[in-house]
Amino acid sequence: MIQSIIKRDGRVVLYDQNKIAAAILRSMEASQDGNAADAARVANDVQRELEGRFHSQSPNIEAIQDSVERQLMNHGFNAAAKAYILYRANRTRAREANTSLMKTIDEITNIDARISDMKRDNANIDGNTAMGAMLQIGAAGAKAYNEMYLLRPEHAKAYREGDIHIHDFDFYSLTTTCCQIDILKLFHGGFSTGHGYLREPNSIQSYAALAAIAIQSNQNDQHGGQSIPNFDYGMAEGVAKTYRKAFTRRLKEAVEDYLDLNDEDAAIRDLIAKAEEATGETARLESAPAYLEAVNRLLCETYGLSQEKAAKLISRASARAYAKTDRDTQQSMEGFVHNLNTMHSRAGAQTPFSSINYGTDTSPEGRMVIRNILLALNAGLGHGETCIFPIHVFKVKEGVNYNEGDPNYDLFRLSCKVSAKRLFPNYTFLDSPFNLQYYVPGRPETEVATMGCRTRVMGNVYDPTRQIAYSRGNLSFTSINLPRIAIESHGDEKKFYQDLQAMLELVAQQMLDRFEIQASKHTYNFPFLMGQGVWLDSDKLSLQDDLREVLKHGTLSIGFIGLAETLTALYGHHHGEGEEYEKKGLEIIGFMRDFCDKKSQEMKMNFTLLATPAEGLSGRFIRMDQKRYGKIPGITDREYYTNSFHIPVWFPISVYDKIRLEAPYHALCNAGHISYVELDGDTARNVEAFESVVRCMHDFGIGYGSINHPVDRDPICGYVGIIGDVCPRCGRREGEEIPPERVDELRKMYPEMPAFQGIQ
Amino acid sequence: MTVKSRSEKLGQGVGFERIRRITGYLVGTMDKWNDAKRAEERDRVKHSMNGHA
Repeated sequence: MIQSIIKRDGRVVLYDQNKIAAAILRSMEASQDGNAADAARVANDVQRELEGRFHSQSPNIEAIQDSVERQLMNHGFNAAAKAYILYRANRTRAREANTSLMKTIDEITNIDARISDMKRDNANIDGNTAMGAMLQIGAAGAKAYNEMYLLRPEHAKAYREGDIHIHDFDFYSLTTTCCQIDILKLFHGGFSTGHGYLREPNSIQSYAALAAIAIQSNQNDQHGGQSIPNFDYGMAEGVAKTYRKAFTRRLKEAVEDYLDLNDEDAAIRDLIAKAEEATGETARLESAPAYLEAVNRLLCETYGLSQEKAAKLISRASARAYAKTDRDTQQSMEGFVHNLNTMHSRAGAQTPFSSINYGTDTSPEGRMVIRNILLALNAGLGHGETCIFPIHVFKVKEGVNYNEGDPNYDLFRLSCKVSAKRLFPNYTFLDSPFNLQYYVPGRPETEVATMGCRTRVMGNVYDPTRQIAYSRGNLSFTSINLPRIAIESHGDEKKFYQDLQAMLELVAQQMLDRFEIQASKHTYNFPFLMGQGVWLDSDKLSLQDDLREVLKHGTLSIGFIGLAETLTALYGHHHGEGEEYEKKGLEIIGFMRDFCDKKSQEMKMNFTLLATPAEGLSGRFIRMDQKRYGKIPGITDREYYTNSFHIPVWFPISVYDKIRLEAPYHALCNAGHISYVELDGDTARNVEAFESVVRCMHDFGIGYGSINHPVDRDPICGYVGIIGDVCPRCGRREGEEIPPERVDELRKMYPEMPAFQGIQ
Repeated sequence: MTVKSRSEKLGQGVGFERIRRITGYLVGTMDKWNDAKRAEERDRVKHSMNGHA
């Protein structure tokens, strides 16, 4: 007679046959195989079996469950037995997930991020801070839940075993990735951050301050980065407002000084209003002649001045207003950059992941913005540190800024000089055919803009009348472990493509499942992104509406990693090693793009192909594949898989060839792409050489590119440049100290040297 | 953590900052990078300006 049983945690509890019968009945009901009476009969036989084996001793849970499985099958309830086994396996997985979750939280709590690789998965989150650790604990819990409850078993398996990687998996049930914020639309009429209402800004200072707040607010509604596609066009309006006010004020001062009057404020305001009304123009950095004539005429009428004298006063006022506006713009741009490097988002765990796009606004105001944001970037932060955020993206366009004689060519040149020192801006090329096809002169929303590390959104299958960069973004992305498919096909190309096709289908289905969760959210879940009309068409929604239709403007992106290793596994060489492999590489990625295009047409949604950024992923897949296959030379023998379609970082190749070989993939990867070139410091600092690399990218049809070169800084003397073993300014080696007399000497030569005092 | 006064020698134990780009964005010091990305950065070779094909 069984009296008691032993639970998993070792506790002994009273035996209760009803519990066994209830569990059996649940499996029978789930599989529609048996009823309560059947369940009782099976439970009786379980008890008989246990008594036969254990007599009066206590059986453990596993033994009881084994017996239930056997008896269900003995009685012919095969479907119920299957359901029971599945239930048991799920419970085991849940228990293991719990244990692993607790272990993860233990590591987050107790291990220094410098030692824990897991805590450095995202370099932008400091896992050593309270809020950073809280975020990581939340992420770990969400991932465990999502895998257990939200994924289909086949998707969970593919994810767990490293066939695919579901990015931002911790946010699976919560939100979407990113958005291009049309800053002008947001500002017009003012907006609410979700924590308070802000009036429409009225000066460049407030334009810049609110732009930073907009990025911060939206970052809290989404899990990815935030971008402003029209930074120059947007800020230009603020510059114009500042100039208009400054001109009125400087004109008043000029009149008062010349005529020795006091308090002409009201009179000048009145005069300006009349001039504006008469001409429909306002004072601008380059005011319309008709406007200036009207001001001149009114000055003559009001104060009895000669036309010539009035012109002089206007000219003086204009020059002073210009200087004031330029100064304000410079300070605003510096403030903006400082804000984005110091302000917090997501409960203080991160600075907002932000990008700004600019370069094509040729208005005097837009040009003033571009020049000053570049100068602010060049100056660096308080101690000359290189700014980490925002990512600056310079839009290159023939006829606008690319060639000598183009209105913004001087700014393109300046951008090269700055990037040669500070690594930013990156460059996006509007003339590349896959970007040019959307470009309409005079409509900045048709200029491709880039989000953060590489995301691009332009085409729109859901609504072909809205093929624009503004107010859209990525919904989710999942990446495929391409090298594994190649390894598993053992050189059989046909098998490779069959398996790839199946994997693409699996990923598409998984993203559609995720879309269902996202689509059932409501406007009120995203008070800024949807509530303030940042996302396309969300201004047409009421608070209770679901987001299904408006989200379809976004993209579902299939990513990949390790084309180089894939080619090596299939053909013995990667695409940097000969024309034959170049062709094979383009076939594989072309196949994936075709799949996305077909899926887009089929679903009338935007499936796009992504050259995955792969920060955490570069190590994750290969660690799993090394366990499976060992270290295969040229394939799994390093600590990382090569990023997307890149030529391997260790492969010697010229700038020219690297750009030439990677450019065709930019056309194929319509969800986003980037190519890097690594220059040594001396070449990078040669602006002519730097510009020639950018021009090479343009001419080969690169979509988005940047030039890497070493940027080092000695925090002691403030030197920024290349530092080998010895700092060229203060002469110290890493970790060495310098004597105080030397510090004083250096400070005389370099007054901007950081004051290195206090706690370090 | 130490508190330093101005008269003391500066720089002891202070390394150089080496700013590098990963996945399109910059990271201030490489000790924030994960192991795989550190290895990738270590393996990067410079691309020469000549050798046009």
